[in-house]
Amino acid sequence: MIRDFTYLKPSSLSEALKMLKDYGEEAKIICGGQSLLILMRQGMVTPSYLMDIKHLDELRYIRFDERNGARIGATATHREIERSPLLRQHYPVLPEMERRLATIQTRNWGTIGGNLAHADPAGDPGPVLVALGASVTLKSLDGERTIPLEEFFVDYFETALRKDEILYEVSIPKPQRRSACTYTKFNLIESDMGIVSCACFVALEDGEVMKDVKIVLGNAGPVPLRARRAEEMLKGKRGDEGLFEEVAKVCSEDSQPVTDIHASEEYRRHLVYVLAKRMLRKAFSEAKVC
Amino acid sequence: MEKRLIHLNVNGEDYELYINPKTLLVEAIRDIIGLTGTKRGCESGSCGACTVIVDGMSVKSCSVLAVQADGKKILTVEGLEQNGKLHPLQRAFLDYGSFQCGFCTPGMLMSAKALLDENPNPTKEEIKEGIDGNICRCTGYNSIIRAIEAVAKGQYKEG
Amino acid sequence: MKNYVVINTHIHNIDGIAKVTGRAQYTFDITLPNMLYGKILRSPHPHARIIDIDVSKAERLPGVKAIVTGKDTLGIKQGIWRRYKELCDEPILAIEKVRYIGEPVVAVAATREEIAEEALDLIEVKYEVLPAVFEPPEAIKKGAPVIHEGFERNINVTRHIEWGDVDEAMKEADYIREDWFRIDGQHHVCMETRCAVSSYTPDGKLLVYTSTQAPYYIQVLLAWVLGLKESDVRVISKYTGGGFGGKFELDAAQFVSAILSMKTYRPVKVVFSREEDFIASKRRTPMYYYTRTGVKKDGTFVARETRVLTNGGAYTGMGATALYLTGFFHSFPYKWKAYRYDGFRVYTNTMPSSAMRGFGAPQATFCSELQIEWIAKELGIDPFEIRRKNGHTPGYEVPGQAYIQSCGLRECLDEIEKWVKSKGELPPNRAIGISCYGFMSGGIFNWFDTPYSFSSAVVQINYDGKVDLFVGAQDIGQGSNTTLAIICAEELGVRVEDIRVHSGDTAVCPPDLGAWGSRQTLMAGNAVKMAAADAKRQLLEIGAAKMRPNIVYDLDIRDRKLINLSRPERWVDYFEVVKDALRGKEGQKIIGRGFYTPHRKGMISPAYSYGVQAVEIEVDRETGKIKILNCVTAHDCGQPINKLGVLGQLEGAVAMAAGFGYLEYMPFEEGKLMNPNLVDYKVMRSTEMPETEVIEIETYEPEGPFGAKEAGEGLTNPTAAALGNAIFHAFGLQMKEVPMTPERIWRALREKKEK
Repeated sequence: MIRDFTYLKPSSLSEALKMLKDYGEEAKIICGGQSLLILMRQGMVTPSYLMDIKHLDELRYIRFDERNGARIGATATHREIERSPLLRQHYPVLPEMERRLATIQTRNWGTIGGNLAHADPAGDPGPVLVALGASVTLKSLDGERTIPLEEFFVDYFETALRKDEILYEVSIPKPQRRSACTYTKFNLIESDMGIVSCACFVALEDGEVMKDVKIVLGNAGPVPLRARRAEEMLKGKRGDEGLFEEVAKVCSEDSQPVTDIHASEEYRRHLVYVLAKRMLRKAFSEAKVC
Repeated sequence: MEKRLIHLNVNGEDYELYINPKTLLVEAIRDIIGLTGTKRGCESGSCGACTVIVDGMSVKSCSVLAVQADGKKILTVEGLEQNGKLHPLQRAFLDYGSFQCGFCTPGMLMSAKALLDENPNPTKEEIKEGIDGNICRCTGYNSIIRAIEAVAKGQYKEG
Repeated sequence: MKNYVVINTHIHNIDGIAKVTGRAQYTFDITLPNMLYGKILRSPHPHARIIDIDVSKAERLPGVKAIVTGKDTLGIKQGIWRRYKELCDEPILAIEKVRYIGEPVVAVAATREEIAEEALDLIEVKYEVLPAVFEPPEAIKKGAPVIHEGFERNINVTRHIEWGDVDEAMKEADYIREDWFRIDGQHHVCMETRCAVSSYTPDGKLLVYTSTQAPYYIQVLLAWVLGLKESDVRVISKYTGGGFGGKFELDAAQFVSAILSMKTYRPVKVVFSREEDFIASKRRTPMYYYTRTGVKKDGTFVARETRVLTNGGAYTGMGATALYLTGFFHSFPYKWKAYRYDGFRVYTNTMPSSAMRGFGAPQATFCSELQIEWIAKELGIDPFEIRRKNGHTPGYEVPGQAYIQSCGLRECLDEIEKWVKSKGELPPNRAIGISCYGFMSGGIFNWFDTPYSFSSAVVQINYDGKVDLFVGAQDIGQGSNTTLAIICAEELGVRVEDIRVHSGDTAVCPPDLGAWGSRQTLMAGNAVKMAAADAKRQLLEIGAAKMRPNIVYDLDIRDRKLINLSRPERWVDYFEVVKDALRGKEGQKIIGRGFYTPHRKGMISPAYSYGVQAVEIEVDRETGKIKILNCVTAHDCGQPINKLGVLGQLEGAVAMAAGFGYLEYMPFEEGKLMNPNLVDYKVMRSTEMPETEVIEIETYEPEGPFGAKEAGEGLTNPTAAALGNAIFHAFGLQMKEVPMTPERIWRALREKKEK
């Protein structure tokens, strides 16, 4: 059962920030609530104040411009991202990832800000946005700061968000030419979170030489995990099957999966290897024709 | 804890509720307004039995606070029929036997309606994705998919 | 081709309007004036003695109206196998000891659900934790903790089935193979969790709304444990949100709501959360299978001997039946010269296991069909050929066990073989596997010890010719209301829309053993047919006076016309005849009675359904993940009655059985179920469901109404086996564990590579 709370409904972002300043210690922010409400119903999260920002349309936007790239407001829903023509054009991996995120009902109401702030290590947006080099802007009454998304995720279900801050916006750098980002997850039910997942970003120099690579593993550690050793092995090299095979093995070695009722650590490591190999292959071949 | 006054428009009728803000939308619909067509089947937002349509979008009413639906238009299964005339999806479900125990049916109909309202010509894949948030333990889904396909193909045109 | 008016035609489910418009009121929806909410405090230990229960703090919580423990009950250990007192071992509210995590210990009624929950936190139970065992091989060891006094080595029930001389017969075998299998349990996951609203009134009568497959069973069992007269207990279950075998025994929702109501004289509603529903109900029986089969080199089956340990969990329930049926259906659907089965049901400190769609047969079919496939491969015999060679045929007698009358197995094999051949050469990552099955249409046993007929029906014809059909058979979604209305309509000679079915109310409907064991189409169907025939006869009496046929008994009613069979152009309107008949009978409605109890129909069932299923899968060799693409089934249910119903049953069975085969599992750790929710317990969704195709093989079963047999439970038997055989053909793997998850497949592949 949900514990009683005082419901706060700020009419603007600035009012919200003020409320956070006043109640921050005992308050939780609710947006789509698709993760939070479940936790509250189970009695695992019991805030005295619940601040609702779902209705703040000033945070609900998807913008793109050639110079700055994309900016997605925190209360944009998964469904809006999934169906955004702008994102489909410039970052097709995002709508693709959203399409397989949970189910339509969840995507209709849940938001990107809520998802990232929840920091579920098995979450889908995290690895993809990290692979795209995304940053998040955090606002408080005292000002704002923008940090790389990678630094935003601190631990299982823990972020760098301070008690008086709201995640305001996700920004993605403009797409590089001859680059591609791919994502997949391994699950048994299509709408499930991944037993493990993998996002790969590859940017090519002229020809087939990889100048920038990001491999981000999902649900293979407490936060989306950059397989940096593997990435280094690829930078400056020409893409090739044998190399991908070797690199995928390194991803597997460097991942930190756990054993749970769904899969053993050993099997997860194997899946990391398989997914990394496949996503590298795919990103490389898509980047070539870009 | 302070109660809040909210207004919900459900199936075209306005309701005024004075509620504890922790009230879930499904509780407002079932227990306060008294429309028990919408069901509940889990505590983890997984089964979809509580699916309703809010401002044209299918949502799980167990995972939405009633206060967040304040001022919005809500459609539940009871709102599908008009003056005793069944909605094409309901007629199709009858023809194709797209239900057995019927417990998931209200939520399933809502997902189906939201799908067709947004995408009147879905592929089979899109139909499957459109209802994959609704668990049915009885039918094996294929009869539901056939019914939705039939409606999409115009088999139940009004008039 | 039979010329029926309504049978096997496209007929809407008669409860359809209620269900698609949200009007259907399930127990989940029911509220009564002045109602309280009940919650249950459950044991956190798998095995412990209850030393003390302190409810004082909880009692003082405002809004709490009653608290009940096992000591406040009559302490009756109930069970559904009432004939065998020693198997009546479950008090529901624990007395002295708890035997599984989740067992009910204390029940609280309060004015709000939230208060009842809060009250649970205030109750202090002192336990003396006892050593526990969780798996049958551990539980039968000497020195293992005793779970129930008087059951040595925790062996709860044993079963022996034998014909021929296995040891002698094995000598004739050219090839013998033995295998061990381990089959996990499965959960029903009914969309409506277990729930009940009970109302005990000052006149000493108890009314119980509940979600159940067998209102009569609940009526009798509740009366027993509460010390009431059966007829003072009324059970109503008009709409049931799924059953699948999990809702025909007495459960804590019913018991607790009743006993709290008896204490408070107010209605009490108990609804299981999904988590409670997972941990404290009864699941499909997990089994350890050993099976040894001898065949001749031309593929003729010679002998089979099987030993099975089933994990019975903490109480008996219907688990004994699963033990029986698994042993019997492990021989199906083949002719064995000699067969020997020894089954042992073992108590463990886990959730009791009992009945789930298939009732031991899916487990049996899996082990049998996979072994047969491997034998066929070894001997170089075509999988269809080996099955054809040994399959049941009409007129076969399973020695001492069953007499097979209708049997369309051969035709089913032919159809599936045709389909498989039509697929031709499969792409590299695809494979097809097949499985046969056979299943019962209701059991002949009366372990419940009822004095009543197994099924009864009353047909009542009103002045306007419309019919009220009263049955005890329970519609849990499988469509029995519609199926029985169809049978009634065909026999009586009217249309389905002329019939209103009354079911799910023990005060109004005749007793019936309920919806389990695939019994209703055959047994309740026979009762309905008899009742309709009885009513019709009374109309024909009047009709004879009007029509004056030359040959007496030459009249019938078809499609609302009372016709002269030899001169069908001569007829009288049914509605007119009814009016005359009613007036002629001193103004009494025409009432027909029918009933059915199988007599001398073998050891298991009066009739058996058959089928063959093929499953086509796509495999990911690197991860072991399989995707089911197609599922084609040829099945023989005798005469299909309810066209939409049969198709629905088949497709639903595929989803459930496929889940059993590769998706659903119940991992326990120290007796605790680790995935009691729908996030971690995986059931098929629309995205996992394959294309399905059905081929009806019509036969005529003399035991069944209009030749009908069951359809729906038997269809749950073959899918896991067909999947296992597809995996065998795709990867060359012999899977010995169910479910066949990707990780298990991957490990098996790795092991194979290493060899």
